Amino acid sequence: MDFGSEWGWVAAAYAVTYVSLIAFAGSIAIRIKKARLKLNERS
Amino acid sequence: MSVSFFGQARTVASRDLLRERRSGEVAWVTLPFGAVALLLVPIAIGTDAPTLRAVGIGMFWVVVMLFGVLVSVRRTGADSQSQKDMVSLTGIDPAASFVGSAWASSLLLIVFEVILGLLTIALYDIRIVGWAWVPLILILVAVGLGLLGTLAGGIVSTDRSAAALVPLIVAPMSVPLLIAATQAFEGLRLGHSILTWILMLVVVVLVLAIAGVLSARPLQETG
Amino acid sequence: MTTTAPDRSRVWPWIAIVVAGLVTLVAGMLVPQDAVQGQLSRILYVHVPGAWLAYLAFGVTMAASAMYLWRSTLIWDRLAASSAEIGVYFTGLTLALGMIWGKPTWGVWWTWDARLTLTAIMFFVYLGYLALRRTTDDIDARAKRSAILGVLAVVQVPLVHFSVVWWRSLHQAPTLLKPESPDMDGEMVVALLVSLAMFTLMYVAMMVKRMELARLEEQVLRAEQSDAGPVAGAAVTAPSLGEES
Repeated sequence: MDFGSEWGWVAAAYAVTYVSLIAFAGSIAIRIKKARLKLNERS
Repeated sequence: MSVSFFGQARTVASRDLLRERRSGEVAWVTLPFGAVALLLVPIAIGTDAPTLRAVGIGMFWVVVMLFGVLVSVRRTGADSQSQKDMVSLTGIDPAASFVGSAWASSLLLIVFEVILGLLTIALYDIRIVGWAWVPLILILVAVGLGLLGTLAGGIVSTDRSAAALVPLIVAPMSVPLLIAATQAFEGLRLGHSILTWILMLVVVVLVLAIAGVLSARPLQETG
Repeated sequence: MTTTAPDRSRVWPWIAIVVAGLVTLVAGMLVPQDAVQGQLSRILYVHVPGAWLAYLAFGVTMAASAMYLWRSTLIWDRLAASSAEIGVYFTGLTLALGMIWGKPTWGVWWTWDARLTLTAIMFFVYLGYLALRRTTDDIDARAKRSAILGVLAVVQVPLVHFSVVWWRSLHQAPTLLKPESPDMDGEMVVALLVSLAMFTLMYVAMMVKRMELARLEEQVLRAEQSDAGPVAGAAVTAPSLGEES
């Protein structure tokens, strides 16, 4: 296994981890915001 | 004069089976669907006899697990909201109702298994070794899957669910049944003892029966 | 009554997630490579903690489900559902990372060893749980049904586990490198423990936020349902001429 291709896989793994983490955490944040907006509309 | 627990269960089972006899959903829809699945596989993976003989029993059990659960969620097995209200007003023990429904589903599943089993033997050129054990395995799997499907159907119990929701819930939890059934047949073929797998099937059936009986009342209260 | 200014209690979870993520990244990059696996071993510092969280979240969901059935207080339902959603994410991530690690290591994307197979099955159990929750807006019915499914899963999963482990023991796969090689040197153990701690911190922080979301969504549902309900005055309708009501 050559140096270059190993780092490629490592990069892919970390990219998948962090991009998905940001997306998931972000979706929670967005949904919280939407829920707060809906509640504010009613009060 | 109050009816005993198993008397109530038998009444519910008879009602379910009578409904099924009138509508014929299992006979005319679910069974043919399972049969079509068995037909599609060789079309997809190739028709050479050794391959089919190797996958045949496994394919049979997969079809039973995935399509058999449709037997438990057949339309004739489900009550509308007003029917459910009626049943709870009659004071039938919800656990007895569960047992009765699961019983009916299990009986239908045995028929399902037998017919599709014969079809599999024919289409895939299977040689069964250890015929004496086969009825026991079929019955245990049918009862286990009937219990699991009825239980999952009770948990879902709403018109808003997707058609595949109960199968989705059942499928991962049917893995012990699937493994025990396939390994039992494999063991018979190789001449090994299959008691572990029979025991596993019995344990699964007991666990599901207890879970179903205990959750019957809470589920009925959910409405 | 809602506060509009972000106070510390609402922001710390996000900060914690960012910090945990950065620390894990640094740990994964600073640690020396494995003698056998080379740089690929770095993947394990995100894969193994992910797997740990997948199982932790699953356990929390199941325990909270049991607590809801016992206590009937909705906070347990929120706990169970939040942990399930986070669990689905980490289980999916674990499976994906396992494949990214496995392809260069074993030459295949997937092997049917017991642990991988069980993780995949668990993923689908989670999905079924989440799918069930989407079938009703009745908060209490949803809570009770999910809780019963949660407890059913607890009861079935050991059987799933045993059956899969026995099945694989009969069909031994060729000896494969296991993610946690028994002789990891000191620095690698430290890095692994650090990333485990960081991921756990991430889980806690996400749970705080996800439970806040669950509480808010319940409030929205309740508000929508009380809007839809009839007011007392609607019980009396004015008499109309000729038409059947």
